[in-house]
Amino acid sequence: MPRQADYRTCSQLLRNSSKLGNIYVDRPSDQSSRWSSDSNNPPQFLILRLEKPAIVTSVLFGKYEKTHVCNLRKFKIHGGLTEDHMIELFDGGLKNDHIPETFLLRHEIEGNPFPCRYIRIEPLQAWGTNFNFSIWYVELHGNNNWDDVKHCMNWYNTYREKEAIRLCLKHFRQRGYTEAFRELSTKTKITLEHPLLTQLHTVLVTNGDFKACEQFITQASNEGMFDQYISQQEYKPEWTPIEPVNAKKPDSSSDARPGMRGGHQMCIDVLTETIYMFGGWDGNRDLADFWSYHLPSQTWVCLSHDTERDGGPSARSCHKMCLDYEKKQIFTLGRYLDPSMRSPDRLKCDFHMYDIDSHQWTFITEDTAAMGGPRLIFDHQMVIDIEHQTIYVFGGRVLTSPSSSDNDRTPEMIFSGLYSFHIPSNTWTLLMDDCPTLRSRIGHSMLFHPGLSRDKEKRDNVKNSFWVYDILNDKWSCIYKNENVGQNYWLKMQHVEPVPRFAHQLVYDHVRKTHYLFGGNPGKDSLPRLRLDDFWSLKLSRPSSDYLLRRCRYLIRKHQFLEISSQTPMKAMTYLQHEVANMVDHNDPEETKEFQLLTSSLFPCPSIDDDAEPSGADRVLQDVDPNFSQRTNLFDKLVAFFPESMTQPKDNLVDLVPLS
Amino acid sequence: MMVLTNLHPSFGKKAVYILDCAVCYQTVCRRGMLAVLVADGKTELFSTDKCDRSAVGVIPEIFWAKSCWCKIQSLACLSCGAVVGYHVILPCVKCLKAVNNGHRCMFHNKFVSHCYRLDEEGGDFLLWKHLKPHDEDNLLSRECLR
Repeated sequence: MPRQADYRTCSQLLRNSSKLGNIYVDRPSDQSSRWSSDSNNPPQFLILRLEKPAIVTSVLFGKYEKTHVCNLRKFKIHGGLTEDHMIELFDGGLKNDHIPETFLLRHEIEGNPFPCRYIRIEPLQAWGTNFNFSIWYVELHGNNNWDDVKHCMNWYNTYREKEAIRLCLKHFRQRGYTEAFRELSTKTKITLEHPLLTQLHTVLVTNGDFKACEQFITQASNEGMFDQYISQQEYKPEWTPIEPVNAKKPDSSSDARPGMRGGHQMCIDVLTETIYMFGGWDGNRDLADFWSYHLPSQTWVCLSHDTERDGGPSARSCHKMCLDYEKKQIFTLGRYLDPSMRSPDRLKCDFHMYDIDSHQWTFITEDTAAMGGPRLIFDHQMVIDIEHQTIYVFGGRVLTSPSSSDNDRTPEMIFSGLYSFHIPSNTWTLLMDDCPTLRSRIGHSMLFHPGLSRDKEKRDNVKNSFWVYDILNDKWSCIYKNENVGQNYWLKMQHVEPVPRFAHQLVYDHVRKTHYLFGGNPGKDSLPRLRLDDFWSLKLSRPSSDYLLRRCRYLIRKHQFLEISSQTPMKAMTYLQHEVANMVDHNDPEETKEFQLLTSSLFPCPSIDDDAEPSGADRVLQDVDPNFSQRTNLFDKLVAFFPESMTQPKDNLVDLVPLS
Repeated sequence: MMVLTNLHPSFGKKAVYILDCAVCYQTVCRRGMLAVLVADGKTELFSTDKCDRSAVGVIPEIFWAKSCWCKIQSLACLSCGAVVGYHVILPCVKCLKAVNNGHRCMFHNKFVSHCYRLDEEGGDFLLWKHLKPHDEDNLLSRECLR
């Protein structure tokens, strides 16, 4: 990548362009080898200009040899062929350390690379709140092969031309300039939208055939054309506290349901709809009780009060469990030991298996490390590949005897690597040791699901948040967040939503698409030994295709009603009472209210139509059907549910007119 | 404007308090000590050895304390902005000479609510002599979260 030829910087007071040259050079130990803004008041940015346009695919930021208050915590990168027209290529931040970071930049439109000549880096926040921004070193990577770039520029220019014409076509059609529309369309041979939608336009806007329009939409919905729109909608969380119906107890003196705990383990058998829960810490001691919860009958069953007594593992917390729903077996490994209990003879990692059908525990091995497996660990992760009958254990912190380390205050932390256990052959294999590239972790959690992955609560001073990661689009979304910390707030809300916590357990039933949450540590300083025993279900919902279809049909009928009411109010009233009413969910207060307000249209009143687009004072289309613009509005609304690749451009030509 | 303990200089036997902002209930301090102002010998307030910069922010304006020549800055709850106390940036000679607990960070009685902090094991009140140094005293930096 050739060096940038030129640069500009924006600084409110001084133009310190001399310092900008410093970003060409990577000298991590030199405090002056950087560009610094003169203040942290916006806007602060620097613009890099390439000698020739290129396809810029990634950027590398070098850093100072230590953490630094001026490092960029948040910044944006824009790029384009001209300084005036740039689009956002990246939005993120740097870690405050000494390690250079590379980021992928957006470099494609609809799968085609586009070239940039200008790159603008705009710092938004430094790690030290009041400090100015510094950039130490920048490298831009990509493709500057002129043949490739020229090819992309051609494509990009063609693309822009095409989009400009489509915007014109949309505008002409919306305003009723049919001849101009036809002329432009034929001359350029550019299609505004998918032919099906043009057909819909004719049916709805030109012909005003609402019935046919409804049939069209219904068919489109049935053929799944709204699926993409639905998949782009945000999930809505719905928490429900679970009250178990009753409990079958082996002896009547025991509790009907599990007691409070944190650091326990839950796993789910989606085939039998049963959740299993074992162990944990109740604030005072480790637990050894083992429970199952049958979801359909809402019943807790205590499988064992003391698994050690029943030939299974001793009381423990911070262990891990995984379930084979075909063989009906549960495996558990690892646990936490208080520092005072870590004598060398007690540091063997025991490995147990529970057979669900026979209610039997099997002590697989008392020392996995001796068998080539991990040492005694806690806060690791364990998953099972049922098809290949292999268990994977990753990470976690290794428990070591304090006497073996010199510094007993803060012993060096050893993390465990990646191991596999082949069940049929009873063999452990070390797949990968802990190393910088793999970076073993503790206390994280993953639930794998075809399509989406979920990460449990982020530990942020005990606040609740639930994030969803879209694997395909590489995008995180926070779909539930409750950052309230007031005691009063949670006193009122504790039966509506789970109070903030950590060390809880969350399992996912991918068949019924529901999460289940039990217990945890609320992290109350005033009650450090308090643990929770509440049980919740979480359903993440999006609008269904049935719901969407009904709403579309409602919109169509509503518009038809409005047209009829301007001519024959009596007929319109009947229509409203039957056809429109059928498309309203009368249990929904908002929908009911909107429906009731429609009645006002039955009474003649000078032009009160809240759906009409505010058009120019002197309307250019005088000789057009008065219903035309309303129908156009409806058309625009309906096509928004179709995939973007099928529809007209979302923007409007009038909106691109700059206001001076 | 330093603080003096009520009865004796053995600060270790004093209980550790949790202080919450009186306006929004956000915890502003987990290591408070009940103390009395050196300057007037009677105003009761809470002091701490290190203010939690993730919970309280410093208001830059510097001014003199009411009853002495200490230079102070106000502290406010980061969550709602309510002033909860102040910290001493330059103690005056009079206060320095007097017996004090060395704390520079204070919370007004009226602007925070308080409760005792319990220790992790015995279920007893946590005393200052058992309190871990502030860089180790973090709820979530425990070895094992359970």
